[in-house]
Amino acid sequence: MLEVFSSPFMQRALIAGILVSILTGLISVFIVLRKMSFVGAGISHAAFGGVAIGFFTGINPLLTAIIYSILVAIGIESTGRRGRISEDVSIGIFYSVSMALGVALVSLSGSYNVDLFGYLFGNILAISEADIFLTVITFLLVSGFIIIFLKDLFLSAYNEELAQISGVSVVLLNNLFMISLAVTIVISIRIVGIILVSALLVIPGATARLFAKGLLSMLVFSCVTGVVSVISGLFFSYEYDIAPGASIVMASAFIFFLSLLLKKKK
Amino acid sequence: MSIAINIKDVSVSINDKEILKNINISLDEGHFLGIVGPNGGGKTTLIKVILGLIRPSSGSVSILGSPPETLKAGNSFFGYLPQHQNIDPNFPATALDIVLMGRYSKTGFLRWPGRKDQEKAMDCMSQMGIEKIRDMQFSQLSGGQQQRVSIARALAGEPKILVLDEPSTGIDVVGQEDFYHLLKGLQKKMNLTILMVSHDIGTVTTYVDEISCLNINLYYHGNPLGALTDKVMTSLYGKHFDLLMHTDICDKCERLRP
Repeated sequence: MLEVFSSPFMQRALIAGILVSILTGLISVFIVLRKMSFVGAGISHAAFGGVAIGFFTGINPLLTAIIYSILVAIGIESTGRRGRISEDVSIGIFYSVSMALGVALVSLSGSYNVDLFGYLFGNILAISEADIFLTVITFLLVSGFIIIFLKDLFLSAYNEELAQISGVSVVLLNNLFMISLAVTIVISIRIVGIILVSALLVIPGATARLFAKGLLSMLVFSCVTGVVSVISGLFFSYEYDIAPGASIVMASAFIFFLSLLLKKKK
Repeated sequence: MSIAINIKDVSVSINDKEILKNINISLDEGHFLGIVGPNGGGKTTLIKVILGLIRPSSGSVSILGSPPETLKAGNSFFGYLPQHQNIDPNFPATALDIVLMGRYSKTGFLRWPGRKDQEKAMDCMSQMGIEKIRDMQFSQLSGGQQQRVSIARALAGEPKILVLDEPSTGIDVVGQEDFYHLLKGLQKKMNLTILMVSHDIGTVTTYVDEISCLNINLYYHGNPLGALTDKVMTSLYGKHFDLLMHTDICDKCERLRP
């Protein structure tokens, strides 16, 4: 297995993959506890619009996707909070409109090519040193946010009103969480792709919940599930020439169903 | 005796719908207030106004002399028990972890509850008679045990006012009686001001010092027995209303727990 990771591009994929899986593992816990899996799917699909803006304008698509996804994430959060439109409706609108915008811009820019396929399903060959740099920066910022606000995130996952009464600025916390989610989704796109990244936001947390006795152990289980899924997924992607997004998600689903069986047998 | 909660001419409208109209309530420190009324009568909205979660459209609220939104974190004026259905019964934590959440606002930036916080949490758990279940998963506890854990969490922050929203939901009838006795005991022992929302008017009148009857308007506030008139009940629940009261015979009910 080690030989697979001897080439420089696979080493880059491995580094980016491990960082991304730890981040999605951390975020996934709160996605599962706050029952936000549709939010993750919505933002990741909306990111396609951001990538297409990059293709159309010639700016780095990851950069345009980060900005676009942050705007969509904050848009979903604020419309949900105002309560005039329910959150699931606002996600449904943002995500389909962004996909439509993406398809229109890609058609106009004439770049229906392998590069686009890479953004949709992940491409381990496409990870550059600049991508690694961006991933490291994002890793530091998002994990820093989670460590600093861990107590507040736990309390607000338990009950948002209690958090508010305890002095937590819930609006700020939710906006920071949504920004972290958006950025994590975009940097995961290179490895897993737009279509499948939402699985990494749900499956590790859902697996961890089966066994975790407490919140900290749930975070650890979730990250371990994510890392194992990504490493084994990258291996199968290389060995069998499968798009990495598909092999990573199948690996994580395998771990989830195996855990479910083990849990039922207990 | 100072005033714990003072509500003056409070009205609340949400999305152009009037939820509360001209509410005036004053509650002394150390008293136990029951808020009763039909569903949709504004009970939960009123406690959210008191907690500073909803700003009133007009009128003013003061908690021990200050508006609720100015009460800083860490001062923990309130211990709050949200409605049972708003807490995930499968939340992945032990009973002690949940109670320790009540100490989060006291521990400060980037600091986790330490030994003293643990001692405080265990003290609150023993007051609620649940110290033996400290290491059990929250999801494995009965509805009544989960409610006791939640109250221990609310007490762990050393509040001056305990606010409970429909606390008897999920507890069986005999358990409910024990639960109200426990609250009454806490009120006396800790000189706690307690505010409890309930739909169970018959039981509430037995335990509280004062009662507020709410159905958008405040129809009655005062001695609990004074609320049980045809006029007040009709204002709250409509014309066809029969009130069944617990009598002494209830004390002979067989208890499932000692």
